[in-house]
Amino acid sequence: MSKPKVSTDWLAACAGCHMSLLDMDERIVNLVEAVDIRATPITDLKEPDESGVDVGILTGAVNTTTNEEVAHRMRKRCKILVALGDCAVFGGVIAMRNFFPLEDSLRRAYVETESTDAEGKIPRSPELGAPTRVRALNEVVKVDVHVPGCPPDADVIYYVLTELAQGRMPELKNDKLHWH
Amino acid sequence: MVSLTIDGKKVEVPEGTTVLRAAEMAGIDIPRLCDHAHLTPIGACRLCIVEVEGARVPQPSCTLPVSNGMVVRTDTPQLRESRKFILTLLFSERNHFCMYCQMSGGDCELQNAAYRQNMTHWPLPTNWQPLPVDASHQHFVLDHNRCILCRRCVRACGELVGNFTLGIMERGANSLLIADLGVPLGESSCISCGTCVQVCPTGALIERASAYRGREKEVERTKSVCLGCSVGCGVELITRDNHLVRIDGDWDAPLNQGVLCEVGRFLPLNEERERLVTPLVRRNGALKAATWDEALNVIAARLKPLAGRRGDGIAALASTRLPAEALHLFGQLFAEKLGSDMVTSIEEGMTTAQPTALAQGLGRAFEGNLDALKSADCVVIIGANLAENHQVAGFFVKRALPKGTKLVVIDPTENDFHRLADYALKPQPGTDYELLMGLMAGIVHHGLAKGEGPSLSELARYTPDIVARKTGIPAETILMVGHLIAMAHQPVFVYGKGLTGKDSSQALRALVDLARLVGALTEDRSAVIGVKGEANSQAAAVYGLTKPFQVDGRQALFLALGDDRPSQRLIQRVEGAPFLAVQASYVSPLTAMADVVLPAEMWAEQEGHYINLEGRLQRARAALRAPEEVRSHVSALQALASTMGLTLDDDWKARLQRGVYSTPILA
Repeated sequence: MSKPKVSTDWLAACAGCHMSLLDMDERIVNLVEAVDIRATPITDLKEPDESGVDVGILTGAVNTTTNEEVAHRMRKRCKILVALGDCAVFGGVIAMRNFFPLEDSLRRAYVETESTDAEGKIPRSPELGAPTRVRALNEVVKVDVHVPGCPPDADVIYYVLTELAQGRMPELKNDKLHWH
Repeated sequence: MVSLTIDGKKVEVPEGTTVLRAAEMAGIDIPRLCDHAHLTPIGACRLCIVEVEGARVPQPSCTLPVSNGMVVRTDTPQLRESRKFILTLLFSERNHFCMYCQMSGGDCELQNAAYRQNMTHWPLPTNWQPLPVDASHQHFVLDHNRCILCRRCVRACGELVGNFTLGIMERGANSLLIADLGVPLGESSCISCGTCVQVCPTGALIERASAYRGREKEVERTKSVCLGCSVGCGVELITRDNHLVRIDGDWDAPLNQGVLCEVGRFLPLNEERERLVTPLVRRNGALKAATWDEALNVIAARLKPLAGRRGDGIAALASTRLPAEALHLFGQLFAEKLGSDMVTSIEEGMTTAQPTALAQGLGRAFEGNLDALKSADCVVIIGANLAENHQVAGFFVKRALPKGTKLVVIDPTENDFHRLADYALKPQPGTDYELLMGLMAGIVHHGLAKGEGPSLSELARYTPDIVARKTGIPAETILMVGHLIAMAHQPVFVYGKGLTGKDSSQALRALVDLARLVGALTEDRSAVIGVKGEANSQAAAVYGLTKPFQVDGRQALFLALGDDRPSQRLIQRVEGAPFLAVQASYVSPLTAMADVVLPAEMWAEQEGHYINLEGRLQRARAALRAPEEVRSHVSALQALASTMGLTLDDDWKARLQRGVYSTPILA
């Protein structure tokens, strides 16, 4: 049996969930033996194989139209989609923005920041996509496995991936379940 | 007894028990959020639903009374699904993002409930409705975004504190917790007791001082006694790395059962005084750090030659916040061993000298305990401001009012209890005795006396008209109030230093007569409560530290101040003493003028016993370690005695069994 293929990508997030993945230390060797890690934001291959992967992992909330495209692409190309971390599961810290009008938060972030000089400008470019209301991943695409945590522990991530690698659905409970 | 079956277990419980409590008794834990052991169940959160055979839909177990033959299931796949759905509605309703809440990680009952149902997410989109954050209160913050409308705070405010500040406005999704009629908490009728914060299951109400300073699993809890006043509430001191983080009311303490007032819960957290960490001795006009031996030698050299001198020898003054062990040594060292005739406490017996003398005259204790307030149908408060001092005793009074308990307040100075009273009397200052005699005269005149009182000829001098002229209270009111008190089945009298803080003890005597007259003081019922003063006023009375204080002519003054805040009056009276030694925890104007300063433990560092206003002997426990050079009051006094070649016995308990005090000492 060939090793299951895993791809990851990030949406609106701080990259902490990917860092937490690396926190599993030497166990990453076991992981690489168990699964075939394909595209990730921190490797050369950026997009999941067109031919599809077994497990797709997304971290971060859906924050822009670009995020939406990435989420839909991953959903289309993977069999099992994992929402990893609080931003993907709930909307997370980024979702705080939803309590304010979008233009207000953009102005606060890019123009009124204390460290910004008079030239402060809200970036607008087609590549960035249009900002939207912040959504949890499951508001945009169907999610198969929710792994909350800010970030989820390396232990939890290791558990989830090794279970999926062996064809089982991970069950998060007790000490493996935390939302913060 | 009613028998029923819960999850296949046969359970027998008293009639009227709810299914939730019956399950608890059987060791079955039903998930719940709005339920609280000390509050009336209201079935607000629906998490405690159970299946009852024969019932069409799940029933909230917290409000469902048991019935014979009932068959209950608490954990079925359908119930688990329903609970997940209920939690989903709660989470999606407001801003419940755990990662930026201080309760996350074990302290939040909402999060724990979700974990228990193995929820990895909530399947409904969040309702992004920004709600206000009320940060107007000095001690805590109300974040509506994290509120689940369980109404524990509303019930605690009304049922436990009797303050009724908190309530809910609007209905359904628009429901919002409000103070009074929707004013900011900081401007409301809130009395800052913090009970609402203690019962909040989420991060909706959090304390400013303790927020983000440690989760439950990172802190230590020490059960102790509040030293804020003589009520002696049970507290839990929550500490981390030798720092005081928070103070909770002890739910298990029989006296206060979880509630505290602002003085007990918040004021100790705002301690800003500078700590004394080493003995100090005055050299060339300035206080300099010294060793304990040096400091004790200076004091001993000064005190020893004055031993036995009366009038111009030693004066010794102790705080009534010191433990009984220390007060015992203090009295023994200065009065017995050094023969001083001026050994007393800072309170000078203002709240205890008269009651003690009266009890000794009567040959019995005449005061009862605070429990009497629970069954009172009429409470008379005289000369005590329960809105500011002994507030928890005030909560017990306010709690009783919605049950129809009548309240009479007698005090020339208006306080918050006046507006709650059925009769708020403001007699001319110094006319309490006449008023009490007038009340008795009226009661006897109407033939309502239940017990003995003053003689008729004595009362004849206090007709309503005479008393009205004297006190400024209309004659009709005096008669009505007398009638109200006399008609009560369980009247309770609460008195304070407004009654006893005078030269004459006849007002107290009259109050005891009135209590006897209306049946509040019989062989088996004492419904007279003296609120006293500080945490150990009663112990100070036991050890004879109740004299009026005079420093005049004394050549040396020893002041065991502890962590007390010296009043301006005390500072003035002590000024100019030829020699002043102060044993204290904090820097103050008194330590600044002292010749020797001994650093002593503060309240949370010391072990010792306290006698509350009811005579209840309680043990305070150390929750913090004192700085290295700081000693306990007991060891400092022992060391001082041995420096002078004296030995003290530490049998502080012996005195409690001997002698008659205003309240029986429940050792």
